[in-house]
Amino acid sequence: MKDVFTRRNILIGAGGVAAVAGAVVGGRYVFRKRYAPSPYDDLLAKLNDRDAAAQLGESVLADSDDFDAKAVADDVRARLQNKTLVQATAVDAGEGRVMEAGGWILPETLALLCALAAKAAS
Amino acid sequence: MSAFIDARNVPSGTVLEPDLAIIGGGPVGISLALSLANTPLHVALLESGGMTFDSKTQALYEGARVGAPYLTLEASRLRYLGGSSNHWGGWCRPMDAIDFEERSWLPYSGWPITKKDIDKYFARAHALCEGGTLLYDRAGKYASEMGPAIALGDGGVTTRWFQFSKMRGSMLPTHFGDRYADDLKRIPRLQVYLHANATRLGLNAGGKNIDEIDVATLTGRKFKVKPKAVVLATGAVEAARLMLASNDVVTAGVGNEHDLVGRFFADHPIPRDTATLVIFDGKLSPYYTEQQTFRGAILRAGLFPSEAFRRANAVMGSSITIENRVDLDDLASAAVATTAAAIGVDAGDAIAFSLGCGMEVTPDPERRFTLDTDKDALGMPKLKLHMRIADSDFAHFRQTLKELGRQLLESRAGMLRLNLKTREDWLDGLDWGNHHMGTTRMHADPRKGVVNANLLVHSVANLYVAGTGVYPTYGAANPTINLIALVLRLADHLKGGLR
Repeated sequence: MKDVFTRRNILIGAGGVAAVAGAVVGGRYVFRKRYAPSPYDDLLAKLNDRDAAAQLGESVLADSDDFDAKAVADDVRARLQNKTLVQATAVDAGEGRVMEAGGWILPETLALLCALAAKAAS
Repeated sequence: MSAFIDARNVPSGTVLEPDLAIIGGGPVGISLALSLANTPLHVALLESGGMTFDSKTQALYEGARVGAPYLTLEASRLRYLGGSSNHWGGWCRPMDAIDFEERSWLPYSGWPITKKDIDKYFARAHALCEGGTLLYDRAGKYASEMGPAIALGDGGVTTRWFQFSKMRGSMLPTHFGDRYADDLKRIPRLQVYLHANATRLGLNAGGKNIDEIDVATLTGRKFKVKPKAVVLATGAVEAARLMLASNDVVTAGVGNEHDLVGRFFADHPIPRDTATLVIFDGKLSPYYTEQQTFRGAILRAGLFPSEAFRRANAVMGSSITIENRVDLDDLASAAVATTAAAIGVDAGDAIAFSLGCGMEVTPDPERRFTLDTDKDALGMPKLKLHMRIADSDFAHFRQTLKELGRQLLESRAGMLRLNLKTREDWLDGLDWGNHHMGTTRMHADPRKGVVNANLLVHSVANLYVAGTGVYPTYGAANPTINLIALVLRLADHLKGGLR
């Protein structure tokens, strides 16, 4: 019986694995949805689905006459300085800070993030 | 056992002289007659209809409406023995203590009695409604075998319970006429007159006592009843009509010296699909959406604002029911996925439901009945309803729903979408509870109420009004069982007063 674990075979196999991994990583980069840069990309990166959030955020913007994106971003950034989004939304709900977005009751921090996503997409 | 008397066979000119005349053979009149069974009182119960529906009799309810959309006046009621219990849904729930309280933020609030005053009658009322084991909010302890209550963060909305009048075979919830006809026939000093329409409450010359009641049939017979006391148990609409129309001695109508009779009419608005409830883990106990029979009772859970929440936020009462499953559109799915990720839960199995509700409205003196110029087949003036509903009533309920949404987020169990925003949204497809209330309101002060704490009309020494017309505020609980408890209290009062 031939030994399959020859030096040659191992090198070929390792090369194949590396090629596949590279394709996956590279593909993700190549096919990843690109967004125009915004002043709050650091915040929007915390969203699971920026497009879905932007859809919700449109409703927040529609109900807000004087939405000051910079001030909101500063506020949200401060809220998330020492907390994860999960922690910040839990605090919001516990302390009664909720907002409506298209009728959906959302934790305030999430609603503001959604509004920033909508602003960035506009 | 004595048969019911068909008033169409009573000779015109007959004069009956019972101790007590009960006008109306609905759940109130029947419960009152049953409660007085073992007393020496001679009682005549006058029922407009017969044992079954008759369109000509039902047409006596017709009237006009102006203002906000509302049901036709003949739609919500049934004019034959058993009254509106012949088409009720059987939903039962006690009112809360706050419903009786004067609230500084709620004009015209404050009953002259407390919840405690009728609590001791509640078990008997529940038995008359055939509600099974008395559980209500104790049901949660047993229901956990079928699944947990919805996890809600601390706050203003909690799971509480409706109980239902028993269904026997194909018979829907207790129809008081069918159910208690034989019991009524067994009462020796009770005479039940069918097809007997009270058309006038005859005050004496001083206007302080009902001396006689004019009774007419649709076949043209007319006779009189001269009782020692009268209980008007016709429902909130007809009580107001009979009192306003009996204006031969006091021109404003019986008991209407302060222009209160017919005012403050109320019902429970039932907007449909008020909100969409999402449960992230896809699990909802069956007792939220369907009646369940356990521990000898039929129950269903609902979501209710707590008394503390109502006080703190100055909101009216309401009940929230979880109705049918609904699909989520793309935006809703995006909302669920985005929110679930942000609060750190998996919503892969999420399910959604439409929410229904029953709302309490604020008392409004301009939501009222007046006499119309049209007359019915018996020559009585018809009524005109001036209907109104305030935007603030919708806003109050929206605030409660918003709190429920917050609590769902706090517990990370789910989320909520409010589906109705503008007045047009709320009014579109608005249904009603068919719970007529408020037209003969109860208050200790004659200038603020038509009847006193004992349901006695302030200005008339022997006229009582028993019906949801006496409710000065309305709560959100289904009124029948609470009303029967109030009527049993009246029965005790009459036992003492008419001997």
